[in-house]
Amino acid sequence: MVPPDGSGFPSSTTATAAGVTVHVPARRRAGSLRALRRSQLAFLLWIFAPIIALFIIIRVIPIFVILLFSFTNYSITRPVWRWTGLANFERLWGDANFLSALWNSTEYVLVAVPAEVVLGLFFAVLLSRRVRFESFYETLYFLPYIIPMVPAAIIWKWIYAPGSFGLANFYLEALGFGRVGWLTEPKIALLAVIGMHVWKNLGFFVIVFLVGLKNIPADVKEAAAIDGASEWQTIRRVELPLLKPIILFGAVMATIWAWSAFTEVYIMTQGTDVSTGTEIAVLVFRIYQEAFRFYNMGYASAISFVLFVLSLLFVLFQFQLFRGWKEEGA
Amino acid sequence: MVRGRRAALLHAVLLITSLAMVFPLVWVFLTSFKTSQDIIRATPTLLPETWTLENYGKLTQTAPFVRFFLNSLLISGVSTVFIIITCSAAGFVFAKYRFRGKNLLLLLIISTILIPLQTYMIPLYLFTRWLGWINTYQGQIFPLIIMSSGIFFLRQNILSIPDELLDAARIDGASEFGVYGRIILPLTVSPLAAISIVNWVYTWSMFIWPLVVANTEDMFTMELGLMYFQRQFITEYGGIMAATVVTILPVLLVFLMFRTRIIDGVAYTGMKT
Repeated sequence: MVPPDGSGFPSSTTATAAGVTVHVPARRRAGSLRALRRSQLAFLLWIFAPIIALFIIIRVIPIFVILLFSFTNYSITRPVWRWTGLANFERLWGDANFLSALWNSTEYVLVAVPAEVVLGLFFAVLLSRRVRFESFYETLYFLPYIIPMVPAAIIWKWIYAPGSFGLANFYLEALGFGRVGWLTEPKIALLAVIGMHVWKNLGFFVIVFLVGLKNIPADVKEAAAIDGASEWQTIRRVELPLLKPIILFGAVMATIWAWSAFTEVYIMTQGTDVSTGTEIAVLVFRIYQEAFRFYNMGYASAISFVLFVLSLLFVLFQFQLFRGWKEEGA
Repeated sequence: MVRGRRAALLHAVLLITSLAMVFPLVWVFLTSFKTSQDIIRATPTLLPETWTLENYGKLTQTAPFVRFFLNSLLISGVSTVFIIITCSAAGFVFAKYRFRGKNLLLLLIISTILIPLQTYMIPLYLFTRWLGWINTYQGQIFPLIIMSSGIFFLRQNILSIPDELLDAARIDGASEFGVYGRIILPLTVSPLAAISIVNWVYTWSMFIWPLVVANTEDMFTMELGLMYFQRQFITEYGGIMAATVVTILPVLLVFLMFRTRIIDGVAYTGMKT
């Protein structure tokens, strides 16, 4: 059989990778295939490669540089720097400022993460009961999350203000309690700031968990109901276990945000009795001070590295925790 | 639908807690219209005794908030344009191309989603300094032009575009740039809109990076301007309230305009980088 174009080659075959059959003369097809390959390579070279290069410069190299810097005494005020081995890390152990920041950050994580996950689940479960005005409530919960941290922190600095115009103290007094030095007593100040952090982020967890709950197929819940499970049993035995991957995602995000908290601490300690920041300073606050106030880039890099490793460990720990939950067969 | 007494209880819990969540915002909004004597009264009232605009009137005289606003607009705007291009192009390649090392590269991108800027800002700062970009717009923008979660999000979306569609265009003689511009971009308008809004809000709210990179008032974003303003005029209660409201307002308006898109976008990309 001679093809209609008389070229002596079969005229209809599969072109490119996708299985589209077209009638093109074999020689032209070969040519256009070559043109196609060339334009694909050009796209990779001129568009994709620069994007990846930017990604590597902005996101990947800095992380390795942090590790390198943490073994030096680098400072932008000093022209010469040298390798100092583990000196920065040894110094960390004796640095009271660092140790208190480490403890404060740990407290931040230990309080904020469970609070955000539990409260987020609580409101998401309530909202998932197919309530009326759901989107109205959803919007209100979400609102604090969407506004920037700086104005939010300033508002809460005012709520916590020591004088009578501080709303928190005003309501405490109205209820018959004494005034509290919200931002002036170190022990309370950190918890007050964490409370603000939870208020700010809660909406994110409500939304994420709610989306997850809504994605659970209705027949699964119906099957549980037919088997005579009460609503609470359905939530506990069916919905929450199915939501597990989303809860893990939420817990991971909460952990990262708690470790990297900075803005609210920075804003809320300004101009108060703890304004030196040592009492309630968190790790990022120390990094900021060491690197951009005292210009000890090497030492600050060591703190950054500790922060990086700690967040990684906590995230891995959560993955482990959730795997355990699965094997338990809940 | 939940009904009866249980529904009433449910609504009571939801209403009280959700109103408590927004109460601080409502309070600051109302307070910004109070006179300065009214603000520091021993028994604060929710509503102003006399409504006044004087707090807002004084704002532009004490600090260049219009400049701050334009700076924020420029930085988050340029960043968002970059994000649209980088996420869609990289997402296209990751979804539709096959080459060695691709999956490894994608894995690398995904793993950086979880690493916050705070941990690696020192090398980034030194790099910015080396480029001579301290206290410039470029310096404030360039760490914000790649969004790891956005690349992954777009890749997931582009996977569902049938290969046949792309090949039909290729056979018609379209180059890859044509395929990208005439098929991929129009078909990803909706996910791109979602990440654009999320990125816009994220960059608008950014604080620590402008704090280390911007030194002079003419480079300040709204967040930075507000921070210095409240530090400098620590007793200007009314002024700080008005400035806070002005800083919140743009984000609030965008949120109310694109509410569902933002909520979906945040739920799926996780926001932040």
